[in-house]
Amino acid sequence: MAEAFVAGFLAVLQWKTFSFMLIGIAVGFWVGLLPGIGGLTTLALMLPFIYDMTPVEAFAFLLGMHSVTATTGDITSILFGVPGEGSAAATILDGHAMAKKGEAGRALGAALMSSLVGAIIGAFALAISIPIIRPLVLIFGAPELFMLAVMGISFISSLSGQGGRAMIRGFLGGLLGLLIALVGLDPQAAIERFTLGQLYLWEGVAIVPLIIGLFAMPEIIDLAVRGTSIAGELPQANLRSGVLEGVKDTFRHFWLTVRCSLAGTFIGIMPGLGGSVAQWIAYGHAAQSARNATERSGFGKGDVRGVLGPGAANNSKEGGSLIPTVAFGIPGSAAMAILLGAFLIQGLRPGLDMLDKHLVLTFSMVWTMVIANVITVAVSLLFLNQLAKLTTVRGTILIPFILFLAFIGAFTEHNHIGDLITLLVFGGVGYLMVRCGWPRAPLVLGFVLGEIAETNFYISTTRYGLSWLYHPVVLTLMVLTVIFIVYPHLRFYLKQVENEPIA
Amino acid sequence: MKPKLNLHFFLALGAALIAGYALYAAMDWPFRTGLFPRMIAVPLLVLALVEMGLSAFSTEKQREGHAVDFELTTDLDPSVARQRTLAIIGWILGFFILILLVGFPVGIPLFVFSYLKLGGKERWGLALVLTVLSWIVMEGLFDQLLHIPFPEGWIQSLFE
Repeated sequence: MAEAFVAGFLAVLQWKTFSFMLIGIAVGFWVGLLPGIGGLTTLALMLPFIYDMTPVEAFAFLLGMHSVTATTGDITSILFGVPGEGSAAATILDGHAMAKKGEAGRALGAALMSSLVGAIIGAFALAISIPIIRPLVLIFGAPELFMLAVMGISFISSLSGQGGRAMIRGFLGGLLGLLIALVGLDPQAAIERFTLGQLYLWEGVAIVPLIIGLFAMPEIIDLAVRGTSIAGELPQANLRSGVLEGVKDTFRHFWLTVRCSLAGTFIGIMPGLGGSVAQWIAYGHAAQSARNATERSGFGKGDVRGVLGPGAANNSKEGGSLIPTVAFGIPGSAAMAILLGAFLIQGLRPGLDMLDKHLVLTFSMVWTMVIANVITVAVSLLFLNQLAKLTTVRGTILIPFILFLAFIGAFTEHNHIGDLITLLVFGGVGYLMVRCGWPRAPLVLGFVLGEIAETNFYISTTRYGLSWLYHPVVLTLMVLTVIFIVYPHLRFYLKQVENEPIA
Repeated sequence: MKPKLNLHFFLALGAALIAGYALYAAMDWPFRTGLFPRMIAVPLLVLALVEMGLSAFSTEKQREGHAVDFELTTDLDPSVARQRTLAIIGWILGFFILILLVGFPVGIPLFVFSYLKLGGKERWGLALVLTVLSWIVMEGLFDQLLHIPFPEGWIQSLFE
């Protein structure tokens, strides 16, 4: 095993393989940066290029590209509030808020370094978990996946609204997200649900216009209302010194970064949960790590931990989602389903062979993810200061370009005018939610998990009746859900009682 | 006590109406198709009604809590903020209508130029340079390189 581990490393360093990886990284870098081009589409478009490559070269090229899109996707989220990738939306909440405080450099440094840590942890999780992962994946059937979805939504709804009515608004957001996810054809009976008679809505509400609308539009409106640059009239010194500070933040909150990376890896392993879920769960965990209510009130307003958690999880989930893909041929995400096509093109069969006959190739994938992220972060760090300076450009110059990116990004989802209408509708919803203090994160997570929750609920009730409610893992997840919801509020209440003066 | 019919109340009312519509629509569906939507819509309706009631009658500001999310700027004169908000919403809707009328390839440079010159009152030179830049990105990257199938505008289709 150790020999294969080293051989995998050396295989990636072969000049031809390394060159293909660099090309992949260059493509992935720009794909991640531009909101109009999806990482998934590009991965699919690149498949025909691997016919003449060896398996190691092919996976170095594809994984090199895929593993950096998540890293660079955070850059536009932080600078302009427009996610480069749909899965980079959670970074907006605190990352863009930091940019508005003149700390864009720090936020970018933190996002990139935590992404690197996440990628390394995810990659090595793949390396060490292959022999032991089979029982874990098999434990999680439909009832457990349904409960996992419920836990995720409850968790983020509870944490996004702090105290009193804000918690009600958090749950309202989560439930609205779940309901929006049901728009389209019912997956079981193919009956139209909430489609308003529109063919465009048969496939459901498009995720990219929804996310860009919810997050970018309120930011654009606020930027126009302020009439300044993104960073306002703040001192420019923060921009120059911030990148290193952001890198240091990753190590100041190292255990949080590690925990969020592990959460991302775990979510990556679970088929179908995807990158957006990993980011939001990590964001929820980061918010939960606040020691008191005052500290937690800083989340959403530019707390660096709100950047570190999603940044780490977004990258670590890639290693996680490769685990079931390589070990069982079950893709952990849509990207991995495309990658499965690469296995077939190369004449490889995922499963036991990958852990035995092709172990060197499996380890070369691990090393590709690590090396690609190291190179991306190193290159990015060289010109992050220049990127951060974009936040000092006048808003009147930036706004037409941000709107250009937002409209193009939304349109490329289905190349349909309906995408632009979705963008405008959810832009309006996002603005109203921000104005009325409704957190937007639960709505996105509810939307992302809606279909997963319904499908698994349907399978659970059809297969087990009500007896699935007594499955040990389901019960454990139920208890965890209650703890996640109650504990932060209980701790907050106890702190208040402690601080009250004795009469 | 007289109820307060503010934006908070109307947003909650919107959520309640959506939940009500979901329950109404689900009545015609087979049991399994409608089960999950009902499971979501019932608590949504209940919570939305609670939020409506609290928005209309609650007076305790500190019980509101806060959302872990960004907050809009509040350090401006409300009338100025309102005026600027309406202006940018107008620009966004105008951009959308422009795309419908002339399509992306023409609409984007036209919008960039109009916004820079009329909305931002930027200098002619800068406005023209940035307009050309937006056209190059639009044509070169999205149209020629990525071949994104942009639909024609309504005006172009009239002349075909």
